[in-house]
Amino acid sequence: MASTAATRAAAGASKVVKPIFSRDLDEAKRRVRELYRAWYREIPNSVALFQLDINVRQGRDKVREMFDRNKHVNDPRVIDMLVIKGKMELQETIHVWKQKTHIMRYFSESQEPRPKDFLSKFYSGHDP
Amino acid sequence: MAARVLQHCVRTLRLSSGHLALRAAVVPAAPLHRALSFYSADRRTRCVNRIPSLDVLCRQYGHLPPLTLESIEERVLYVLKLYDKINPEKLQATSHFMKDLGLDSLDQVEIIMAMEDEFGFEIPDGEAEKLMSPDDIVQYIADKKDIYE
Repeated sequence: MASTAATRAAAGASKVVKPIFSRDLDEAKRRVRELYRAWYREIPNSVALFQLDINVRQGRDKVREMFDRNKHVNDPRVIDMLVIKGKMELQETIHVWKQKTHIMRYFSESQEPRPKDFLSKFYSGHDP
Repeated sequence: MAARVLQHCVRTLRLSSGHLALRAAVVPAAPLHRALSFYSADRRTRCVNRIPSLDVLCRQYGHLPPLTLESIEERVLYVLKLYDKINPEKLQATSHFMKDLGLDSLDQVEIIMAMEDEFGFEIPDGEAEKLMSPDDIVQYIADKKDIYE
Protein backbone atom coordinates (compact mmCIF):
# COMPACT_ATOMS: atom_id res chain seq x y z
CA MET A 1 0.00 0.00 0.00
CA ALA A 2 2.88 2.34 0.77
CA SER A 3 4.44 1.67 -2.59
CA THR A 4 1.20 2.34 -4.42
CA ALA A 5 0.68 5.52 -2.42
CA ALA A 6 4.18 6.62 -3.34
CA THR A 7 3.61 5.90 -7.00
CA ARG A 8 0.33 7.74 -6.84
CA ALA A 9 1.95 10.77 -5.24
CA ALA A 10 4.87 10.74 -7.63
CA ALA A 11 2.76 10.50 -10.77
CA GLY A 12 0.97 13.77 -10.12
CA ALA A 13 -2.10 14.43 -12.21
CA SER A 14 -2.42 10.98 -13.83
CA LYS A 15 -2.75 8.25 -11.27
CA VAL A 16 -0.60 5.26 -12.13
CA VAL A 17 -1.20 2.40 -9.73
CA LYS A 18 -0.20 -1.19 -9.77
CA PRO A 19 -3.05 -3.17 -11.25
CA ILE A 20 -4.51 -6.26 -9.67
CA PHE A 21 -5.36 -8.15 -12.86
CA SER A 22 -6.52 -5.86 -15.60
CA ARG A 23 -4.73 -2.84 -16.95
CA ASP A 24 -7.73 -0.86 -18.13
CA LEU A 25 -11.48 -0.67 -17.85
CA ASP A 26 -12.17 -2.76 -20.95
CA GLU A 27 -10.23 -5.71 -19.64
CA ALA A 28 -11.97 -5.43 -16.28
CA LYS A 29 -15.36 -5.40 -17.98
CA ARG A 30 -14.33 -8.47 -19.93
CA ARG A 31 -13.61 -10.28 -16.67
CA VAL A 32 -17.02 -9.22 -15.39
CA ARG A 33 -18.69 -10.65 -18.48
CA GLU A 34 -16.83 -13.94 -18.14
CA LEU A 35 -17.91 -14.17 -14.50
CA TYR A 36 -21.50 -13.44 -15.48
CA ARG A 37 -21.40 -16.18 -18.08
CA ALA A 38 -20.06 -18.67 -15.55
CA TRP A 39 -22.74 -17.78 -13.01
CA TYR A 40 -25.49 -17.88 -15.64
CA ARG A 41 -24.52 -21.40 -16.66
CA GLU A 42 -24.11 -22.50 -13.07
CA ILE A 43 -27.59 -21.52 -11.82
CA PRO A 44 -29.58 -24.52 -13.17
CA ASN A 45 -26.99 -26.94 -11.79
CA SER A 46 -27.15 -25.28 -8.37
CA VAL A 47 -30.93 -25.28 -8.28
CA ALA A 48 -30.92 -29.00 -8.97
CA LEU A 49 -27.98 -29.84 -6.72
CA PHE A 50 -29.02 -27.94 -3.61
CA GLN A 51 -32.74 -28.65 -4.24
CA LEU A 52 -33.56 -24.99 -3.96
CA ASP A 53 -37.16 -23.87 -3.93
CA ILE A 54 -36.66 -21.23 -6.58
CA ASN A 55 -37.02 -21.18 -10.35
CA VAL A 56 -33.99 -20.97 -12.59
CA ARG A 57 -35.38 -17.64 -13.74
CA GLN A 58 -35.54 -16.28 -10.20
CA GLY A 59 -31.97 -17.43 -9.61
CA ARG A 60 -30.75 -15.71 -12.75
CA ASP A 61 -32.63 -12.52 -11.84
CA LYS A 62 -30.94 -12.58 -8.46
CA VAL A 63 -27.52 -12.95 -10.14
CA ARG A 64 -28.37 -10.01 -12.36
CA GLU A 65 -29.42 -7.99 -9.32
CA MET A 66 -26.13 -8.69 -7.54
CA PHE A 67 -24.20 -7.64 -10.62
CA ASP A 68 -26.30 -4.50 -11.06
CA ARG A 69 -25.57 -3.38 -7.51
CA ASN A 70 -21.98 -2.68 -8.57
CA LYS A 71 -22.78 -1.37 -12.01
CA HIS A 72 -21.61 2.16 -11.17
CA VAL A 73 -18.01 1.20 -10.33
CA ASN A 74 -15.36 2.62 -12.65
CA ASP A 75 -12.05 1.81 -11.00
CA PRO A 76 -10.45 -1.29 -12.61
CA ARG A 77 -8.87 -2.41 -9.35
CA VAL A 78 -12.17 -2.31 -7.48
CA ILE A 79 -13.82 -4.21 -10.33
CA ASP A 80 -11.05 -6.81 -10.17
CA MET A 81 -11.52 -7.24 -6.46
CA LEU A 82 -15.27 -7.68 -6.89
CA VAL A 83 -14.64 -10.21 -9.66
CA ILE A 84 -12.28 -12.13 -7.36
CA LYS A 85 -14.93 -12.23 -4.65
CA GLY A 86 -17.54 -13.35 -7.18
CA LYS A 87 -15.24 -16.13 -8.36
CA MET A 88 -14.76 -17.30 -4.79
CA GLU A 89 -18.53 -17.47 -4.32
CA LEU A 90 -18.85 -19.34 -7.61
CA GLN A 91 -16.20 -21.86 -6.61
CA GLU A 92 -17.88 -22.49 -3.30
CA THR A 93 -21.22 -22.98 -5.05
CA ILE A 94 -19.91 -25.31 -7.74
CA HIS A 95 -17.99 -27.54 -5.36
CA VAL A 96 -20.88 -27.69 -2.87
CA TRP A 97 -18.79 -26.29 -0.08
CA LYS A 98 -21.77 -24.10 0.75
CA GLN A 99 -25.12 -25.41 1.86
CA LYS A 100 -28.64 -24.55 0.87
CA THR A 101 -28.98 -21.96 3.62
CA HIS A 102 -25.93 -20.03 2.44
CA ILE A 103 -27.36 -19.71 -1.03
CA MET A 104 -30.80 -18.79 0.23
CA ARG A 105 -29.23 -15.97 2.22
CA TYR A 106 -29.05 -14.05 -1.03
CA PHE A 107 -32.83 -14.26 -1.22
CA SER A 108 -33.79 -13.40 2.31
CA GLU A 109 -35.47 -10.06 2.75
CA SER A 110 -34.71 -8.32 6.00
CA GLN A 111 -38.38 -7.88 6.78
CA GLU A 112 -41.63 -8.98 5.18
CA PRO A 113 -43.53 -6.02 3.76
CA ARG A 114 -46.88 -5.51 5.48
CA PRO A 115 -49.94 -6.60 3.53
CA LYS A 116 -52.05 -3.76 2.17
CA ASP A 117 -55.11 -5.22 0.49
CA PHE A 118 -57.95 -6.90 2.33
CA LEU A 119 -57.29 -10.47 1.33
CA SER A 120 -53.60 -10.44 2.26
CA LYS A 121 -54.44 -8.90 5.61
CA PHE A 122 -57.06 -11.59 6.10
CA TYR A 123 -54.58 -14.36 5.36
CA SER A 124 -51.93 -12.96 7.64
CA GLY A 125 -54.38 -12.43 10.49
CA HIS A 126 -56.78 -9.58 10.21
CA ASP A 127 -55.09 -6.45 11.51
CA PRO A 128 -57.01 -3.47 10.09
CA MET B 1 -14.09 -64.17 -55.10
CA ALA B 2 -17.31 -63.02 -53.51
CA ALA B 3 -15.72 -59.68 -52.69
CA ARG B 4 -14.67 -59.19 -56.28
CA VAL B 5 -18.15 -60.07 -57.49
CA LEU B 6 -19.68 -57.63 -55.08
CA GLN B 7 -17.31 -54.93 -56.24
CA HIS B 8 -18.30 -55.64 -59.76
CA CYS B 9 -21.99 -55.45 -58.82
CA VAL B 10 -21.33 -52.10 -57.35
CA ARG B 11 -19.44 -50.90 -60.38
CA THR B 12 -22.10 -52.05 -62.79
CA LEU B 13 -24.88 -50.58 -60.74
CA ARG B 14 -22.97 -47.34 -60.63
CA LEU B 15 -22.27 -47.26 -64.30
CA SER B 16 -25.80 -48.20 -65.16
CA SER B 17 -27.89 -46.04 -62.87
CA GLY B 18 -26.58 -42.95 -61.15
CA HIS B 19 -26.92 -43.27 -57.48
CA LEU B 20 -25.02 -46.01 -56.03
CA ALA B 21 -24.42 -46.05 -52.33
CA LEU B 22 -28.03 -46.45 -51.23
CA ARG B 23 -28.80 -49.13 -53.74
CA ALA B 24 -25.73 -51.16 -53.04
CA ALA B 25 -26.34 -51.03 -49.33
CA VAL B 26 -29.90 -52.16 -49.66
CA VAL B 27 -29.59 -54.80 -52.35
CA PRO B 28 -26.26 -56.53 -52.18
CA ALA B 29 -27.54 -60.01 -52.90
CA ALA B 30 -30.40 -59.54 -55.32
CA PRO B 31 -28.55 -58.61 -58.47
CA LEU B 32 -25.92 -61.23 -57.77
CA HIS B 33 -27.19 -63.66 -60.34
CA ARG B 34 -27.40 -60.89 -62.87
CA ALA B 35 -23.93 -59.75 -61.98
CA LEU B 36 -22.46 -63.13 -62.60
CA SER B 37 -23.50 -62.98 -66.22
CA PHE B 38 -22.19 -59.42 -66.44
CA TYR B 39 -19.01 -60.52 -64.90
CA SER B 40 -18.31 -63.17 -67.45
CA ALA B 41 -19.39 -61.05 -70.40
CA ASP B 42 -17.70 -57.82 -69.50
CA ARG B 43 -14.49 -58.98 -68.02
CA ARG B 44 -12.46 -58.15 -70.98
CA THR B 45 -14.37 -55.17 -72.24
CA ARG B 46 -14.55 -53.16 -69.01
CA CYS B 47 -11.41 -51.51 -67.96
CA VAL B 48 -10.43 -52.04 -64.43
CA ASN B 49 -11.15 -48.83 -62.67
CA ARG B 50 -11.10 -49.71 -59.07
CA ILE B 51 -12.62 -47.11 -56.88
CA PRO B 52 -10.91 -47.60 -53.55
CA SER B 53 -13.61 -45.80 -51.63
CA LEU B 54 -16.14 -48.41 -52.75
CA ASP B 55 -14.11 -51.27 -51.39
CA VAL B 56 -15.51 -50.45 -48.00
CA LEU B 57 -19.11 -50.83 -48.97
CA CYS B 58 -21.57 -48.21 -48.05
CA ARG B 59 -21.00 -46.74 -44.69
CA GLN B 60 -23.56 -44.10 -43.91
CA TYR B 61 -23.19 -41.14 -41.64
CA GLY B 62 -25.62 -38.73 -40.15
CA HIS B 63 -25.17 -35.00 -40.17
CA LEU B 64 -27.20 -31.89 -39.60
CA PRO B 65 -28.86 -30.30 -42.62
CA PRO B 66 -26.53 -27.77 -44.27
CA LEU B 67 -26.78 -24.21 -43.00
CA THR B 68 -27.71 -21.39 -45.31
CA LEU B 69 -27.67 -17.67 -44.63
CA GLU B 70 -31.48 -17.56 -44.56
CA SER B 71 -31.73 -20.43 -42.11
CA ILE B 72 -29.17 -18.85 -39.81
CA GLU B 73 -30.98 -15.53 -39.87
CA GLU B 74 -34.32 -17.25 -39.23
CA ARG B 75 -32.96 -19.10 -36.22
CA VAL B 76 -31.25 -16.01 -34.81
CA LEU B 77 -34.43 -13.94 -35.08
CA TYR B 78 -36.49 -16.77 -33.61
CA VAL B 79 -34.25 -17.00 -30.55
CA LEU B 80 -34.31 -13.22 -30.15
CA LYS B 81 -38.09 -13.14 -30.30
CA LEU B 82 -38.23 -15.70 -27.52
CA TYR B 83 -36.12 -13.45 -25.27
CA ASP B 84 -38.44 -11.65 -22.92
CA LYS B 85 -36.58 -8.36 -22.72
CA ILE B 86 -36.96 -7.75 -26.45
CA ASN B 87 -40.17 -6.44 -27.95
CA PRO B 88 -40.76 -8.70 -30.97
CA GLU B 89 -42.50 -5.99 -33.00
CA LYS B 90 -39.53 -3.65 -32.78
CA LEU B 91 -37.00 -6.32 -33.69
CA GLN B 92 -35.37 -5.93 -37.09
CA ALA B 93 -32.32 -7.57 -38.60
CA THR B 94 -30.36 -4.34 -38.27
CA SER B 95 -31.57 -3.16 -34.88
CA HIS B 96 -28.75 -2.36 -32.48
CA PHE B 97 -29.13 -4.04 -29.10
CA MET B 98 -28.05 -1.13 -26.99
CA LYS B 99 -29.25 1.87 -28.99
CA ASP B 100 -32.49 0.62 -30.58
CA LEU B 101 -33.66 -2.07 -28.21
CA GLY B 102 -32.35 -0.52 -25.01
CA LEU B 103 -30.54 -3.56 -23.66
CA ASP B 104 -27.69 -3.79 -21.22
CA SER B 105 -24.24 -5.24 -21.78
CA LEU B 106 -25.16 -8.17 -19.56
CA ASP B 107 -28.31 -8.66 -21.66
CA GLN B 108 -26.08 -8.82 -24.70
CA VAL B 109 -23.98 -11.48 -22.96
CA GLU B 110 -27.15 -13.48 -22.34
CA ILE B 111 -28.14 -13.17 -25.98
CA ILE B 112 -24.73 -14.40 -27.15
CA MET B 113 -24.98 -17.34 -24.75
CA ALA B 114 -28.38 -18.20 -26.22
CA MET B 115 -26.79 -18.16 -29.68
CA GLU B 116 -24.02 -20.46 -28.44
CA ASP B 117 -26.65 -22.88 -27.16
CA GLU B 118 -28.61 -22.68 -30.40
CA PHE B 119 -25.76 -23.25 -32.82
CA GLY B 120 -23.65 -25.47 -30.62
CA PHE B 121 -20.25 -23.80 -30.65
CA GLU B 122 -18.39 -21.46 -28.29
CA ILE B 123 -18.14 -17.77 -29.03
CA PRO B 124 -15.16 -16.24 -27.17
CA ASP B 125 -15.80 -13.06 -25.26
CA GLY B 126 -13.31 -10.92 -27.18
CA GLU B 127 -15.37 -11.36 -30.32
CA ALA B 128 -18.73 -11.59 -28.61
CA GLU B 129 -18.57 -8.06 -27.24
CA LYS B 130 -18.52 -6.67 -30.79
CA LEU B 131 -21.71 -8.41 -31.94
CA MET B 132 -24.29 -5.70 -31.44
CA SER B 133 -27.07 -6.53 -33.88
CA PRO B 134 -28.68 -9.66 -35.35
CA ASP B 135 -26.92 -8.97 -38.66
CA ASP B 136 -23.53 -9.01 -36.93
CA ILE B 137 -24.38 -12.32 -35.31
CA VAL B 138 -25.46 -13.86 -38.62
CA GLN B 139 -22.27 -12.62 -40.30
CA TYR B 140 -20.11 -14.01 -37.51
CA ILE B 141 -21.75 -17.43 -37.58
CA ALA B 142 -21.49 -17.56 -41.36
CA ASP B 143 -17.79 -16.70 -41.10
CA LYS B 144 -17.20 -19.38 -38.53
CA LYS B 145 -19.12 -22.05 -40.36
CA ASP B 146 -17.82 -21.08 -43.82
CA ILE B 147 -21.16 -20.30 -45.39
CA TYR B 148 -21.15 -17.78 -48.17
CA GLU B 149 -23.30 -17.01 -51.13
